[in-house]
Amino acid sequence: MLLNKRVTAVLSASLLTLACQVSQAADSLNFVSWGGTTQDAQKAAWAEPFTKSSNIKVVQDGPTDYGKLKAMVESGNVQWDVVDVEADFALRAAAEGLLEPLDFKTIQRDRIDPRFVSDHGVGSFFFSFVLGYNEGKLGANKPVDWSALFDTKTYPGKRALYKWPSPGVLELALLADGVPADKLYPLDLDRAFKKLDTIKKDIVWWGGGAQSQQLLASGEASLGQFWNGRVYALQQDGAPVGVSWKQNLVMADFLVVPKGAKNKDAAMKFLANAASAQGQAEFANQTAYAPVNLDSVSLLKPELAPNLPTAYAQDQVTLDFAYWAKNGPAIATRWNEWLVK
Amino acid sequence: MKVAINALQSATGASATGAQGAAMKSSPSLRQRWRGSRNLLPALLFLGLFFFAPLIGLLLRGVLEPVPGLGNYEQLFANSAYARVLFNTFSVAGLVTLISVLLGFPLAWAITLVPRGWGRWLLNIVLLSMWTSLLARTYSWLVLLQASGVINKALMAMGIIDAPLEMVHNLTGVVIGMSYIMIPFIVLPLQATMQAIDPMVLQAGSICGASPWTNFFKVFLPLCRSGLFSGALMVFVMSLGYYVTPALLGGAQNMMLPEFIVQQVQSFLNWGLASAAAALLIVITLVLFYFYLKLQPESPVGNAR
Repeated sequence: MLLNKRVTAVLSASLLTLACQVSQAADSLNFVSWGGTTQDAQKAAWAEPFTKSSNIKVVQDGPTDYGKLKAMVESGNVQWDVVDVEADFALRAAAEGLLEPLDFKTIQRDRIDPRFVSDHGVGSFFFSFVLGYNEGKLGANKPVDWSALFDTKTYPGKRALYKWPSPGVLELALLADGVPADKLYPLDLDRAFKKLDTIKKDIVWWGGGAQSQQLLASGEASLGQFWNGRVYALQQDGAPVGVSWKQNLVMADFLVVPKGAKNKDAAMKFLANAASAQGQAEFANQTAYAPVNLDSVSLLKPELAPNLPTAYAQDQVTLDFAYWAKNGPAIATRWNEWLVK
Repeated sequence: MKVAINALQSATGASATGAQGAAMKSSPSLRQRWRGSRNLLPALLFLGLFFFAPLIGLLLRGVLEPVPGLGNYEQLFANSAYARVLFNTFSVAGLVTLISVLLGFPLAWAITLVPRGWGRWLLNIVLLSMWTSLLARTYSWLVLLQASGVINKALMAMGIIDAPLEMVHNLTGVVIGMSYIMIPFIVLPLQATMQAIDPMVLQAGSICGASPWTNFFKVFLPLCRSGLFSGALMVFVMSLGYYVTPALLGGAQNMMLPEFIVQQVQSFLNWGLASAAAALLIVITLVLFYFYLKLQPESPVGNAR
């Protein structure tokens, strides 16, 4: 009897392991993004419907870490199948051979805004750096474009700018200095830093979305450069925050597949679904980030549409990801020098 | 009286016997000294595999990537901005250490002096602050210190200041935030050291005619030295590598080396330059550590007198 019990235990244990192996063998992929509400929305808009229709399980992981991605590819043990990265990084990583080329037989390239697709990455979403301001701090004085940042007399208080040497700050300084939007590149670094010098002591730097919201909502910064989705979220919460879309600077996230990803085929199918009109519209409706698929615009919630960059196409200035992918490290050296000077 | 003098002698003689002990330890034969060292093998193997090998790998990257040679170091030294970053790193670490010592010392003393039950409560409060999420504590400082924060509002309401003080997004913010985080690391070793000091020794000092100040500087402080040094060293070295707090409470102008390294590792995948910067930090820390050991009579390189 006792023996019998033991045999059953062993049997059931081995069955259990077998079952585990079977479930692992079934298709699955690891999706990596930045966490927070963005990844929640990506899960709800892309992963869950995808699993339902294709029976491929999507495991959520994160946050995105470029160093980790490089380490995985170098060691040949790639745990991530689809990764959400910034557009300039996507292009730089592709140039360094860290990414798989995408399969555009599966992914429909022709309906994606050509600004947000490359051979190794397809847009995850796009967003704008907008001029946000605290209405309580500035009163009736509503700033219009980036030149307001450099006018400390009319608009007193601290300016919140994005801290990393990445597309955005230098461009807005040049625009404020009178450089026409189509003549921004190659960036005139001397001119940009000279312009930034005039407000250097008035800048507070933010490194992440939550921090930027804290600065703007509390009035610690009177105005500044913000991600449009973050300002929108503050407005939804009833914070006295205004926004100007003039010269909004367009930036994007790309979805990429690291070189040597274990579930490449499943990853391509996932990308096709995420970049589809439906997937993009669904995600935009949940986050106030804009869809990269040209067919998504008609599927957006009517009350949300005016708060998306897609509604301000004529005011858009698209940041040049390719230029940054190539020159980013050199610009960063100059940037650091200027910062600590 | 005689007891008191004996106690005092044993106290001041402590360092002398320490030196003697060190001298005695070096006299037995080599074989005796290494007896039982085989038991260390697993630990050494572990350290070698999981600490030294990656460390060496890291150092190698600094001279191998992107092309073999000293290019990364050249870039680090040629650019005055990096020297500035390095200077920032050490001055912030030094300042944080100084302030944590100045604040931690009386706190540790208070914990030792108050009746036993109270001391434990105080210690628990110190520990509690250590167990709270680092990010939450850093953000709390932001709430307190910012221009529209609690402190500025209170001071302005009381009419002490007219315009808000700038206490955050600059060096002040970093030093306040980091000192707060580091204080437990100085209080714990210091309090342990103070607890072990025989109160009779201090009594003996005053019976022998030492003024309270003399008693403090000539008797108490030297006895606290080991705890003080180890705590201060720990705080200093930890401050050198701190990332979150300076990133949130500091301004970009006060960039410290860890932030620079993160930027190179994560944004630009420039691991060669990052490794070189990390190696530089290690070397400078080791040099400082050597001088620190020099000051400790008990250590192998110390000036035993």
